Amino acid sequence: MKRKQLTALLLAALMVLALAACGAKGDNKTDGSGGAVQTEDAAATYKSLTERENELLSEHTDLWDKVFLAADKGSAMIEDGTNYGDFLLNTIESAKDQFTEDELALLKKSAQEIREIEDKLTELEAQHPELPDGATNGNSDVEKFPSFEGKDLDGNAVKSDELFSANAVTVVNFWFTTCNPCVGELSQLDALNQELAKKGGALIGINTFTLDGDEAAIAEAKEVLAKKGATYQNVYFDSNGEAGKFITNIFAYPTTYVVDRNGNLVGEPIVGAITEPKQAETLQALIDQAIAADQG
Amino acid sequence: MWGLDKTRKTASHRLARGRGWIQAGAALLTNLHLPNFFKGSLYQGAGKTVCVPGLNCYSCPAAAGTCPIGAFQAVVGSSKFCFSYYITGILILFGVLLGRFICGFLCPFGWFQELLHKLPVPKRSTKKLRPLTYLKYAVLLGMVFLLPAFLVNDVGMGDPFFCKYLCPQGVLEGAIPLSLVNSGIRAALGKLFTWKLAILLTVAGLSAVFYRPFCKWLCPLGAFYALFNRVSLLQMKVDSGRCVSCGKCVRVCKMDVDVTKTPNHTECIRCGMCVSACPTGAVCFRFGLGDETKSTKKTTMEEST
Repeated sequence: MKRKQLTALLLAALMVLALAACGAKGDNKTDGSGGAVQTEDAAATYKSLTERENELLSEHTDLWDKVFLAADKGSAMIEDGTNYGDFLLNTIESAKDQFTEDELALLKKSAQEIREIEDKLTELEAQHPELPDGATNGNSDVEKFPSFEGKDLDGNAVKSDELFSANAVTVVNFWFTTCNPCVGELSQLDALNQELAKKGGALIGINTFTLDGDEAAIAEAKEVLAKKGATYQNVYFDSNGEAGKFITNIFAYPTTYVVDRNGNLVGEPIVGAITEPKQAETLQALIDQAIAADQG
Repeated sequence: MWGLDKTRKTASHRLARGRGWIQAGAALLTNLHLPNFFKGSLYQGAGKTVCVPGLNCYSCPAAAGTCPIGAFQAVVGSSKFCFSYYITGILILFGVLLGRFICGFLCPFGWFQELLHKLPVPKRSTKKLRPLTYLKYAVLLGMVFLLPAFLVNDVGMGDPFFCKYLCPQGVLEGAIPLSLVNSGIRAALGKLFTWKLAILLTVAGLSAVFYRPFCKWLCPLGAFYALFNRVSLLQMKVDSGRCVSCGKCVRVCKMDVDVTKTPNHTECIRCGMCVSACPTGAVCFRFGLGDETKSTKKTTMEEST
């Protein structure tokens, strides 16, 4: 009996250790630092702080919109070096009659956190003057969308360089034919494509079943696209190429990437269908970011 | 301590005693690609075209094969196929060969629950909760077959209802490890994850108190294999000549089965606790085509492991 218990204990300990190992590794990756170089750490911190700030601002868009509306007149303040959080707090204070108590408390709490973040950011910028550019434009570690030369499902040649440079923003949606959530978002993606066209952007789909030009898969994909009324371009390429290998690292479908005119990835990939509000908002924010950067 | 056992160290006893190791080995073989846990990637090689016998999520980074229940739903719910003949065939093969021996020895999620049951908290019997054991057949029929096959969208695709809404193994092996390493997946976690995490925690909590609650009440794979317990090549045999009706086997059985009355009960997971408990060596495993008269035969055990 004792031996059994001992075995059980050992195995349980092993499992716990295995899990702990997972956790530690995962956390490392979260920070995106990896290297021990100080600047990289700082860049990672800078990035995560900026992301947190954006997150705070995107949480209650309707409330913030009211705040920004109230702030219009005093917008010069943003540029004069005052802490952005202070600016927000002041604006909230001046427009407080427009909000309920709960809303006020919420806004103030967020604004306070933003103020703290801004303080930290300023400090970081002082130590690493190169940071703001790198973090906002992603120049420090831009990741390119893997280049490809392929065809669309109608057989027209498509080159990634030409495709991306022709559009202010290109949304790339990875899907496959028997993936229910993927198929579920096709009509919404088609609507998004039409909307993007007006802004000089485009949306393309990449159906992983159609890689290497599998004819049966292409026919099936076309059928599903037609049923869903999706008319935007769907592209396939060689599975051994750069982009083909890129796909082997996508484990959840649908996954959607936003690519700028230079072929660089904008933000993190969006995992999950954009029929979910959370995913749709994130995608829209990245699109807006890419278009704004293209104009600016 | 084992001095008295010298006379009955049969293959059945060795098998029953080595069960913990076999479970560990099976869990490891089922999830062989361990480095993937750190990479946050999935093994996508040829092994994934084959089903493993136990309940083990396809989306576990280390998984060496496919979950039969997940694969069944994926095929039956796809617009291309009406029924998962190939996977049903594999399940029948597993069922006919081993029956719920798979639950007792090979299923990683069964092992997980058993390890939790070793936690030192007061244990409760599930005898009075027997009606709940029928729930798993409803899960099998409803969530694994009917809903994915018939509740389809405009392009004829159904959702894998069991995987999507109920399976705690998917959260344990898939969602949690993947989201720890992969920020995109972490960002995608929503209400569904919260719901299934709650199920996982509930099952884990219950496992500490009850023996294998998920296997008894909810598991559709266990339900499927249960239907084959009566006909499977691996069976429990009780030698009525040796049995002294002491009732030790009944008391020791954590699946609430009386092996002397119903050796091939649907709830029996062939864990062999009765084999170890029997003072006269009357209970044993038997593998092969049945022959009642040779019930004490101890041959061919190795084939089943």
